Amino acid sequence: MGRDLPQEDPLVRMQRDLKRALQKKPEDIKWGMVIDIAKCIGCHACTIACVAENKLPPGVVYRVVLEEETGHYPQVRRRFVPRPCLHCQNPPCVKACPVTATWKTEQGAVIIDYNKCIGCRYCLVACPYAARTADFGEWYTAETAELHGKLYGQKAAANGYEAHPATEYGKKWPERGHGSPVGNARKCHFCLHRLKVGMLPACTTSCIGRATIFGDRTDPHSLVYEMIGSPRVYVLKEELGTRPSVYYLK
Amino acid sequence: MKNNWERNLIIVTIIGLVVGSWGMYQRLAYGHLGMNYGSFVPWGLWVAFDLFFLGLTAGAFLITILTYVFRIKLLANLGPLAAFTVLVTLMSELLIISLDLGHPWRVYRFLITPNPGSMLFWLVVFIISMWIIYVPWLYFLIREQLIAWGNDGARAGHKVYRFLAWGKTAYTPQDRQQDHRRTRFLSYISLPIGVIFFGAHGAIFAILHNRPLWNSAMLPLIFIMAALLSGGALITFLAYLYQPDDELIHPLGHVVLLILLSFLFLEALQIFVGYQSKITGIVTSLDLIIIGPYWWAFWIVHVLIGSLVPAFLLIRYPENSKMVALACFLIIITFLAVRLNYLIPDLAVYKLQGLQNTFFHQRLRPEYTPNLNEWLVAVWVISLGLLAFLLGTRWLPVIQAGRGEEEHV
Repeated sequence: MGRDLPQEDPLVRMQRDLKRALQKKPEDIKWGMVIDIAKCIGCHACTIACVAENKLPPGVVYRVVLEEETGHYPQVRRRFVPRPCLHCQNPPCVKACPVTATWKTEQGAVIIDYNKCIGCRYCLVACPYAARTADFGEWYTAETAELHGKLYGQKAAANGYEAHPATEYGKKWPERGHGSPVGNARKCHFCLHRLKVGMLPACTTSCIGRATIFGDRTDPHSLVYEMIGSPRVYVLKEELGTRPSVYYLK
Repeated sequence: MKNNWERNLIIVTIIGLVVGSWGMYQRLAYGHLGMNYGSFVPWGLWVAFDLFFLGLTAGAFLITILTYVFRIKLLANLGPLAAFTVLVTLMSELLIISLDLGHPWRVYRFLITPNPGSMLFWLVVFIISMWIIYVPWLYFLIREQLIAWGNDGARAGHKVYRFLAWGKTAYTPQDRQQDHRRTRFLSYISLPIGVIFFGAHGAIFAILHNRPLWNSAMLPLIFIMAALLSGGALITFLAYLYQPDDELIHPLGHVVLLILLSFLFLEALQIFVGYQSKITGIVTSLDLIIIGPYWWAFWIVHVLIGSLVPAFLLIRYPENSKMVALACFLIIITFLAVRLNYLIPDLAVYKLQGLQNTFFHQRLRPEYTPNLNEWLVAVWVISLGLLAFLLGTRWLPVIQAGRGEEEHV
């Protein structure tokens, strides 16, 4: 008596929402994300999960957690604002790209064709949210000592992890150092390769506070749709008119 | 005397190529790994040089304006030299910006998957237009001389000149008239294309609403003035070196002074408006220029050496060609500071609160200083451009053809 009934984990509901969304025609889906900053504890698990999922090299990051400090001592406050690519519905980066290497899919995700990108980095300059980073070809194992053998040393360590890029966009990319995505602009793509097989984005499943909600924002029964309707909702830099698909809850 | 300094300069350029080849090796073998720019300051020294070179192409544009709009016919003599300078600076620009690209071999993408909504695409279109205008322009200006040199059996390489003249051995009055018509036509086209071209440089930055320092309708105008200033100074300096005629240099000196004062006025206006707006992003960027770690690049290099001293020389000694040339030389060699000060400060300010505390990596910092590799690559490209220019002025009739009574550019 007096105790709340156990609630359904939002992940379970999002998984169900995703399953329902994938049964729709692709053009009818509009992916969206809501981040409840009241629930974010700043653990950076989403950043790490994203780096691991996409095997991001040094200096490339798709999802950071901004740490904002406000007020003056002793009245100080701190909050965390995870910032993936906001997948703007009016994306400045898409307009900037001179070779149409980046575009908005019919499902609302802004993506890059690594094989088209010339690496001019104009999209990085144009993004108001600093959501794009360039891959300069760095290696985690660059400073690792070279030793002979299959288990130890720079080459073995690299082969064990970063020499083989993740299958972003569902494609197999050449061994690192032999072409794209080195030299390209890179960004969050809502883990399209996971969505395709019915899995939620890595940042969403790794969020221990369940602060990240993902789903089809046009589905009235989805959790993400419900959250977007919250009076607490806002978007970053609304005045720029970019109309992000990633919303925040105060 | 002239041959001496030319020879010495050629030796300097060869040394520059040798020294710079280390940077080129780093770039070609290891890509962008050895460079200092990152994801928050994605454009660095090479893009500043790109803007610098593009600005230098404005010399020919200025000569065309002065000849056709202001009817200073005498300046038409500088046409071939100006056109040749455009081609060399465009070549240098093409080279350095290609090196800045992550995938330079994919530039064909501009043709097969163009994005007409991108300002960068239009800049490329106008760069190609400049080539399309200035290559035939130069050719028609020097064709008569090419034919004459091709006919001169005693001249070294006369067969090459004959080949360049498409085997033609006679240059009739009809040919001359036809070439005049063609060059005049190309000159007229170059006027609107030039204005859009130099304005487009500024527009690339000005249209970005997330960049408060750049996002202003004044920026394209400033870029046009900057191009006219650096290009005008370059062509005046070259005129002094190759065609030292007071009647050419003095009016050019007056024009350069006028452009310099106009440019400084616009720059002062931008700084004044920026500070008065009290918008954090703008004030922080302006502070970086005025009182930041590279304050000396603005105050000493640009304001003092590149503006006040040249203005003094141009006002005090307007009839002294040597002083006019010196003033122009100072403007040119300091103009990179202007380009860097337009490019870096807006990039070097965090655009999201809290971004500085998120992810620590050298590529994710707003501090940027070009490293040795970047400078060496720039030295290599400048040396190559200078060598091409020196050899071109020696082997092509770009100087001689200008001496005469042509009324066209």
